[in-house]
Amino acid sequence: MVGGAQTFGRIVYLLCEVCVSDSSSLRLLEEKAIYQAVKAAVIKAHGEYGAALFSIGSTDSSSLRLLEEKAIYQAVKAAVIKAHGEYGAALFSIGSTVTYLNAYTGVVILRFRKAHYQLLWSALPFITSIWSQGQKVQCFFNCIHVGGTIRTCQKFLVRYGRQQLCRMLPHCKTEAEKEEVRKAVLSCSLHKFRVDDEGDDDDDGEEEEL
Amino acid sequence: MSVYMDLNLIAISDKKKLQNMIETAAHLGFSTVAINYVVEPQQKKQQIPKPVSVSELCEKLPIVQGKSRPIKVLNRLTVVATDASHFRPSNEYKNFDILAVYPKTEKLFHAACMTYDVDIISIAATEKQPFHCKRSPVNGAIERGVFFEISYTAAIRDSTMKKYTIANAINLVDVCKGKNVIMASGAETPLELRGPYDIANLGLVFGLSEGDAKAAVSTNCRSVVLHGETRMTALGIIHMKKKSQPPSEQPEEETPALKRAKTETL
Repeated sequence: MVGGAQTFGRIVYLLCEVCVSDSSSLRLLEEKAIYQAVKAAVIKAHGEYGAALFSIGSTDSSSLRLLEEKAIYQAVKAAVIKAHGEYGAALFSIGSTVTYLNAYTGVVILRFRKAHYQLLWSALPFITSIWSQGQKVQCFFNCIHVGGTIRTCQKFLVRYGRQQLCRMLPHCKTEAEKEEVRKAVLSCSLHKFRVDDEGDDDDDGEEEEL
Repeated sequence: MSVYMDLNLIAISDKKKLQNMIETAAHLGFSTVAINYVVEPQQKKQQIPKPVSVSELCEKLPIVQGKSRPIKVLNRLTVVATDASHFRPSNEYKNFDILAVYPKTEKLFHAACMTYDVDIISIAATEKQPFHCKRSPVNGAIERGVFFEISYTAAIRDSTMKKYTIANAINLVDVCKGKNVIMASGAETPLELRGPYDIANLGLVFGLSEGDAKAAVSTNCRSVVLHGETRMTALGIIHMKKKSQPPSEQPEEETPALKRAKTETL
């Protein structure tokens, strides 16, 4: 439905975003954070499952830090069981994991079996809070991409992160901030991304530049 | 990439919160939102509210995610009708871009589908629909280009409401075969909004097919907005507009000439 979930492989990745109602969280989308997100995703990019990239929305950005992979897993599991009963629980138990979490940008990659990802996904809108580290984090999941591999998700994430930087630009107050964002936008071009895909050696060079 | 719309953000008096909600909607990728004013005429003394103008609400509209345009904000009025006298077309309705009706009885549902000049018919989300949607009025509504609305916020808030919402939605979708359905939030806080892709997927739970579910958040909503626009015109062909400019000298000169021409022919 979203993006191009290619039909090879049995797995789907959903790219999600954790949404925060407070705009200061946008500031957290530093280029480094985006870069880290991509890098971590590259490292993990050998799953045979599909992934959904989700973003999690929450009222304030500091609460996002509290999120843990385990807490998200539990929240998703509870939502699926509540929405689809034992049948949902059974489907969820096969190969569903939280592959990646960035607590700064609130980006999550969930891995589901392709055969029934739509059923599991339909439970996600009903998540209103996540229990993490003994605290209740009010938030919601927003799916931003569905991909067949983590690689497609990670490619999308770079593009998406760049878009966020462009959206930040008009909100900048000082000239220095503007310059910083402009630099960041230029530095996360797709060309560089391709270079950094090729090997770990380039990776280190990239990081210094960023 | 299609254009997504959310035609039901409840108008709350707190301006700051409403702004916040519009910002969140823009972040999620909705290019049009409608602020919904709900009127319940059975409560005495309830007046039809005046919509707050968009420029008053937000000085600068947020940019839509993935687009370079700012978000479009419309005004919508929902009339909760329990009696036939509640829905009276009046001039006050004309202040709103979109007009919706929420019929509570079968008779009113029939009338809303067949005769009322509205854009949206809302379907109960917080209670079991007390009547069954019959095929003939629903088909009539589809022919007239009126859309049915399923709002999902109640389902998110509470699990009993979820049952009602899903049951009512499946009932409706069965009858109208997935056509002319829109899905809107009905959110009162930013955290009750969901992304367009999530809503489209949620449509599968409501019994919509994949294509219909996507149309329910994009193309069908567009039809509603256009239908609302044509409501102000004569059959969508003629549109009259008051000229705000002060009359210049030229037309004044012309009028006596015209009068003369008429008298001459007489």
